Amino acid sequence: MLRQHGIRRRMAATTPLILAVLLLAFVIAVSLTHDRALARMAAETLIRVTLVVGFWIFVGNSGVVSFGHAAFACLGAYVSAWTTLKPAMKATLLPGLPDWLAAAEWPVAAAAVAGGGVAALVALATGAAILRLSGIAASIATFAFLAMVNTIWSNWTPMTGGTSSVVGLERYVTPWAALAWAVVALAVAAAYGASASGLALRATREDEVAAAASGIDRYRHRLLAYTLSAFFCGVGGALTGHFIGVINPDSFYLSLTFLMLAMLVVGGIGSLSGAVAGVMALSLAVELLVRMEKGVTLGVTTFALPPGSQEIIIAVAMILVLIFRPAGLLAGREIMLPARWVGGRADRTTDPTS
Amino acid sequence: MVLALDQVGVAFGGFRALSEVTLAVAPGQIVGLIGPNGAGKTTCVNVLTGFQRPTSGRVLLAGRAVSGLAAHRIRRAGVARTFQAGRLFTGLDVLDNLACTGVGLGLRRREAEHQASALLAWLGIATLESRPAAGLPYTDERRVAIARALMGGPRFLLLDEPAAGMSETEAADLAAVIRRIALERGIGCLLIEHNVGLVLSLASDVVVLDGGRVIERGDRAVILGSQAVREAYLGANLPEAA
Repeated sequence: MLRQHGIRRRMAATTPLILAVLLLAFVIAVSLTHDRALARMAAETLIRVTLVVGFWIFVGNSGVVSFGHAAFACLGAYVSAWTTLKPAMKATLLPGLPDWLAAAEWPVAAAAVAGGGVAALVALATGAAILRLSGIAASIATFAFLAMVNTIWSNWTPMTGGTSSVVGLERYVTPWAALAWAVVALAVAAAYGASASGLALRATREDEVAAAASGIDRYRHRLLAYTLSAFFCGVGGALTGHFIGVINPDSFYLSLTFLMLAMLVVGGIGSLSGAVAGVMALSLAVELLVRMEKGVTLGVTTFALPPGSQEIIIAVAMILVLIFRPAGLLAGREIMLPARWVGGRADRTTDPTS
Repeated sequence: MVLALDQVGVAFGGFRALSEVTLAVAPGQIVGLIGPNGAGKTTCVNVLTGFQRPTSGRVLLAGRAVSGLAAHRIRRAGVARTFQAGRLFTGLDVLDNLACTGVGLGLRRREAEHQASALLAWLGIATLESRPAAGLPYTDERRVAIARALMGGPRFLLLDEPAAGMSETEAADLAAVIRRIALERGIGCLLIEHNVGLVLSLASDVVVLDGGRVIERGDRAVILGSQAVREAYLGANLPEAA
């Protein structure tokens, strides 16, 4: 009898594969155009996939909306800056760094992992306090955390440069580098969703009381998802820094929080495919609107949207989705291979679940 | 090895929901808990399962006080419950509903699924396995909720109005299931029911609550002969003494 369930599990396992293939096709298609602006858009979109998929690991499985994840991106970006900037540059911009950090010149990949790691450690420590709260109280506490990190980062001038930007980050993030991290994030998110902890956390999302009566320690599973989630937001932050080359605390504050939430809401909070769909839909919309703000020339006249209409239109799009399709574009469904594909393969191999 | 309330009181502000309630369930025994609406039956279950801290008195599991433990720890210690509303995880299928409890109790996901499948078969509802939990017929929902509570082999099972809204036949089927749980699995059951006839037919020992106090306890004959019980129920629902 478990066979049907096993087939569904294997179908679910195809989700990150399909999503990865779609993203790969997107990068290949963009590379073939040799359009530099498009390539930049693709890299930025894939960085957002890492950020939003990371964000989804916690929000999607726990059902608790977090307003604090942009802070993890901030931590990741600065840790990567601290460990990769040229020592001469750091001596000028960040005079307060401890000697070992001032002298550090790490490879960029190690710095991204370190950025994620520090974000995860901070998530573990702060989550230990925040995640004991339930529902809306936890959400508000994450918002307070975001405000705290932003205030500290804006005023801790010797370490962070304060509100002035840190410049000179190596701009290594191509669409391919961003794709690599996006695929890692997808794989980890899917593996977590299929794990015992992912299942237990989804049970707490469905019904906290019944979950407690099922022996599920809500706090522990939330903390694990929060930490894992912060890791990828930290990595996403590091990538963002090395994509633009310039960081300051406000690039990881309210507008990023809003954009990440909007992407999750538009795509659908209930599924990993929804998270990716939301990023793609809104990134394409943003790109289109930015071009329209710059002006579109038709014959002799140039049409241009007023500056700032991009944010307003995105907000309106989010509201419309909330009204007409509250579960998001994908409404909690996953993109997966049909049963007969995975079922056919299962018949030839030994299936431990049947 | 007994699950017991020892002189338990619960107050919500000035309202005393329970006063000095003492009751005990032994393994394999079915104890009934009856009383009119608002008598404190569900509060008893909440106290026994860690969802409500007693204001006074103790909850004892095998002689150890467990009154301060969180609900999920009490479940892991072997005290399971069902709810008046099924409270299934509606976004998941039936098997995953049971598997959730398995992983909550520390099983790996695959082990949890195997145990879940075996339990559904034992209860004769194996065909429901891959059905979504949302939209199950009422009686099936109840059975799945009981199956979920049986995951991990609890030592005690607290059933909060499992027969509410069921027909006579459905209630009789349910009674057979409860009897099997106690007899074949040796699980001590505390049965809360409005259907007094069902309780009296199943339980070896019945506790009657009214206004948060125990007003009577004993076997079928004692309950049916009790003037206090008759007054509490105003003669309603209570079968005639045999």
